[in-house]
Amino acid sequence: MLRSRFNWIAVAVLGLTVMSAAQDSPGKKVPSVTMAPVSVTDVTRGKANSVALHFRVGGGFHVNSNTPKSEFLIPTALKLEAPTDIVLGKVTYPDGQEMSFPFSPDEKLSVYTGDFAVSVSVRPLAHVLPGKYVFRGNLRYQACDNAACYPPKQLPVEFEVKVVKAPAAHKANPAQSPHAHS
Amino acid sequence: MKRDPVVLIIVAMVVTAMLVFGYHMSRRDADPSAAGVGAMKGKAAPDFELKSLEGNTVHLSDYHGKAVLLNFWATYCGPCKVEMPWLVELQKQYGPDGLQIVGVAMDDASQDDIAKFAKDMGVNYPILVGKESVGDSYGGIQFLPATFYIGRDGKFIDRVFGLKGRSEIEDEVKTALSKN
Repeated sequence: MLRSRFNWIAVAVLGLTVMSAAQDSPGKKVPSVTMAPVSVTDVTRGKANSVALHFRVGGGFHVNSNTPKSEFLIPTALKLEAPTDIVLGKVTYPDGQEMSFPFSPDEKLSVYTGDFAVSVSVRPLAHVLPGKYVFRGNLRYQACDNAACYPPKQLPVEFEVKVVKAPAAHKANPAQSPHAHS
Repeated sequence: MKRDPVVLIIVAMVVTAMLVFGYHMSRRDADPSAAGVGAMKGKAAPDFELKSLEGNTVHLSDYHGKAVLLNFWATYCGPCKVEMPWLVELQKQYGPDGLQIVGVAMDDASQDDIAKFAKDMGVNYPILVGKESVGDSYGGIQFLPATFYIGRDGKFIDRVFGLKGRSEIEDEVKTALSKN
């Protein structure tokens, strides 16, 4: 009997803990955007190569996509500095999710939530020495939850590429005319 | 398994009590430093000197004798945009009774953009260009909107972080107006 009562009380305490944790209010957590570690990517000299950077928006928050729907909203944007003689090409952002929020249920915003990936085009010039090179920069974002917005922040971004020589071109034998030999 | 009705009743009571408690706590204030609210109440709101969008120098003390709703906001803040029309209505409704709403833009946007935004929203109260130091003197503005209710005597009545309903804002305004 005593054990049965204990079980009931334990269940009640557990339930209360879950309920109190679910009562999130704005500001109870700090918004975070994190970047997943990037393994060193091989990039071929003289060619455009794509490097994918993966980010995660903390639960309960959203950030604007790179193309928000209002001029006043701050887009999520990646700024990078490339090592000498490596050309930084186009940065490609995913499309935002069209979402509405309790603070404005009739308006759809273009946002990122959860995981999203940004692709960076990298082209080492033909004369770059093979080896590892580091890119540094930051991801600027501005996060909100369902009832409040947080000032814009910059997330430091860093990744490494390994420049490799282009594979030796296949040398085909010069075409010979079937009539070359007499 | 036979369930003991006494235990069931106790569990139901505890659950109800915790729900009521949790509800009141979540309604009370969304601020992570909610404990600081009580400490501020009744204390003099720090005076400040900020420029308005028109270039005028404005001090909080300029509004002594009025109930002040000091609203920190930004153009990028969706929830702030939601409450602005309510603030416009409240200024119209309670302005004659002594309410002065003051907006403080904590923004990276240019003054022109802030002015355009305010004009588009039909703002009928002064918008000041915020400074972080002013936010710090008010306990730090970690997120927006952040609204401070100041009585006619220049003392804090309450502060609220995050978006609240119009009726809650109006209740706070009425309280501020009722304090002498």
